[in-house]
Amino acid sequence: MSGTRDLNRGLERDGARVRNLVLAGVGGHGVLALSRVIAEGALAAGFDVRKSEIHGMSQRGGSVLSEVRYGSSVNSPLIPDGAADLLISLELLEALRHLHRLKTDGILLVNEQRITPAPAGSGPVLYPEDVLDRILDPFPEARILPAHDMATELGESRAANMVMLGAFAACTEDIPIHGWEEVIESAFRSDLVPVNLAAFRAGLSLASAW
Amino acid sequence: MANRILLSGNEAIAEGALEAGAHFAAAYPGTPSTEILETLSRRGGIRAEWAPNEKVAYETAYGASLGGARALVAMKHVVVNVAADPLFSSSYAGVNGGLVLVSADDPAMHSSQNEQDNRQLARAAKIPVIEPSDSQEAKDFTRIAFEISERFDTPVMLRVTTRICHSMSPVAVTRGTTWPMARIPDYSRNFHKHVLLPANARPRHDFVESRMVELEEYAASNRDLNRIEWGDRTVGVVTGGVAYQYLREVLPGASVLKLGMPWPLPRALVRELAAGVDELYVVEELDPFIETEVRALGVQVLGKEIFPLTGELNPDVVARGFELSGNGTATEPGDVRQKNAAPAAIPPRPPVLCAGCGHRGVFFTLSKMGLIVTGDIGCYTLGALHPLESMDACLCMGASIGMAHGMEAALRAAGDERRVVGVIGDSTFMHSGITGLINTVYNGGSSTVLVLDNGTTAMTGHQDHPGTGVTATGERGQQVDIEAVCRAVGVRRVRDVDPYDIAALEAALNEELDTPEPSVIICRAACRLVDRTPIAPSVRLEIECPGCGTCFELGCPAIDDRDGVAVIDAAACCGCGLCVQVCPFCGLRIEGHEPAGVP
Repeated sequence: MSGTRDLNRGLERDGARVRNLVLAGVGGHGVLALSRVIAEGALAAGFDVRKSEIHGMSQRGGSVLSEVRYGSSVNSPLIPDGAADLLISLELLEALRHLHRLKTDGILLVNEQRITPAPAGSGPVLYPEDVLDRILDPFPEARILPAHDMATELGESRAANMVMLGAFAACTEDIPIHGWEEVIESAFRSDLVPVNLAAFRAGLSLASAW
Repeated sequence: MANRILLSGNEAIAEGALEAGAHFAAAYPGTPSTEILETLSRRGGIRAEWAPNEKVAYETAYGASLGGARALVAMKHVVVNVAADPLFSSSYAGVNGGLVLVSADDPAMHSSQNEQDNRQLARAAKIPVIEPSDSQEAKDFTRIAFEISERFDTPVMLRVTTRICHSMSPVAVTRGTTWPMARIPDYSRNFHKHVLLPANARPRHDFVESRMVELEEYAASNRDLNRIEWGDRTVGVVTGGVAYQYLREVLPGASVLKLGMPWPLPRALVRELAAGVDELYVVEELDPFIETEVRALGVQVLGKEIFPLTGELNPDVVARGFELSGNGTATEPGDVRQKNAAPAAIPPRPPVLCAGCGHRGVFFTLSKMGLIVTGDIGCYTLGALHPLESMDACLCMGASIGMAHGMEAALRAAGDERRVVGVIGDSTFMHSGITGLINTVYNGGSSTVLVLDNGTTAMTGHQDHPGTGVTATGERGQQVDIEAVCRAVGVRRVRDVDPYDIAALEAALNEELDTPEPSVIICRAACRLVDRTPIAPSVRLEIECPGCGTCFELGCPAIDDRDGVAVIDAAACCGCGLCVQVCPFCGLRIEGHEPAGVP
């Protein structure tokens, strides 16, 4: 993958009218805030939008998943397997878990962070050592970003989701940069807006250099 | 000024209720319905109340309807069972102001103990069902539901599912307007209608049956709710709710009878579609509710032969169903290679009790003591999972106390001396634990009940309840005291025990279980997601961890198992000290505290 127009080109190629985004992470990552900002950004840019999420236990360390679809007209809130144009994951294992949701030529943006799951069966959970290989093997052009570290450097590790948004913003011209910034300004409590905007811009400039 | 904003289905229902001039709303929190009442209490302009349970919520809403207000009552699917008694009879008595019951069903059981299809309950109660397929319809149909309720003198079920409740889509709303309260006839006594003595109820049943006939005529004529969208005549599909959206995704050209009011089924429209297409299908989640009615018309149809009875539908599942039928017209979006690349050997990531959760020490102790534990509905159900694994049964709201009494009776009758405790949360105790406790006292039981009081309805997102004394709109009301309630119903042995003190908890349990009379142990610890202030400085490892693994048995997310050696995540640890108490090497310390050390 190179340049900033890959998402546009992918869509032109298969003639799809709807953009399908899958967003994954762990409770506390702000996956739902990220999907909310993307959905609001798409609505403000004039698209029809559907956003779905399962958030029953999202605050208690479980997997969190949200799906956003936008286009001229959208029906289903759910994206078929193998039909996502883009997968954003805030964690490596969660990217692996939802890899089959992506199209074969889909765009994959992953925050380089490993969070060991709580034990579910007997014995400790073995975090798959080969997680990166298993992501990069089918998707060699996946982008693994240090979003968590970048956000931590900006003083707020929880803004890693906005770093990922910035990287996504560089992949599409569907929504103008100022459109994203306006949504961020209204989506967060006023004292949290500056750090989230900074995180967004950091992600944007990183991805623009790809 | 109307504009389009993104709303979840639940927010849209609240918006619809406000636009309809509803004046009263009641609910008990339950996923996926909770945000309906939360939105109403935040928006204002309506009296919004948390009720202690759904039966009471329904009864207050019914009273508000009689009193001349449009009233909405919202709950998740399983607890419509709790409200079923007043629901079924109010179908006979009818309404004054419009009365809308929102039943939020949970296909796939994302956060539920069963996946009952409440269209079946509505059919049994003989009330109409309205079913939106996105947020715009959720708002519009809520308004229509109030109109139907008043026009046909019936409670109306607005049936939604998790994918409607928790999906967002654009909704046209008018903000900055205060909607006038609906104008309902003033209350006047109507003995024959509202007092369901047998002599009154018999003619009301006749009324209900004739009402169903009229409702079916309405369902066949209201094109906002039910309409045929003619397209390709080879395939006709009857569908509704979110399934309509999936169907449109995979068969965009088919002829469709879209049912926004599936009950009573507009049979005239079904016959019209069936006559106009080569093959007829029903696409619906869960039970073959519509399908059974279509078959009863003698119409040939394909449904549950090709679509699953269990779980959620989605575009993939619907497309696969049409493939099974041999209908090649379905387009299944997505790359086949990717669809088949099912992820293998990926460790699951289940939710866990938070670091510092007051429930952890309780379940660790119950597990250690090898007690039989009847559990209940809440975060503490996580105590059933590895590594605590200390729950024998979990059934429904409030069941723990009754189950403990019955199990103990059966065990003792068989000469089995194993000991039973019931475990219930504070909000669940208020919901339906109290009557169970009265039963234990009255019938001479001797079970011990643990009330885990974290001062909130935690699982559903921290709603207040009678035990907190704060109302849905944030006002401080009268707090209902759990200990006083226990004593008032005749439990003489009620005591507080610190849930962070394992030795004290074990001693108290042994004492109460050995005393042949009912007892209640209240364990108070604020939910860590509500009160995030550290309990003590975070725990430090003082020695080189020998890797005995005892502290891993707590299942604390702040203790990482790194190749068998404990590593404390200081950022996550809030100093609850449980690990300090269980470490047999006294290698874990909290500054300023002596190590307890369990030998």
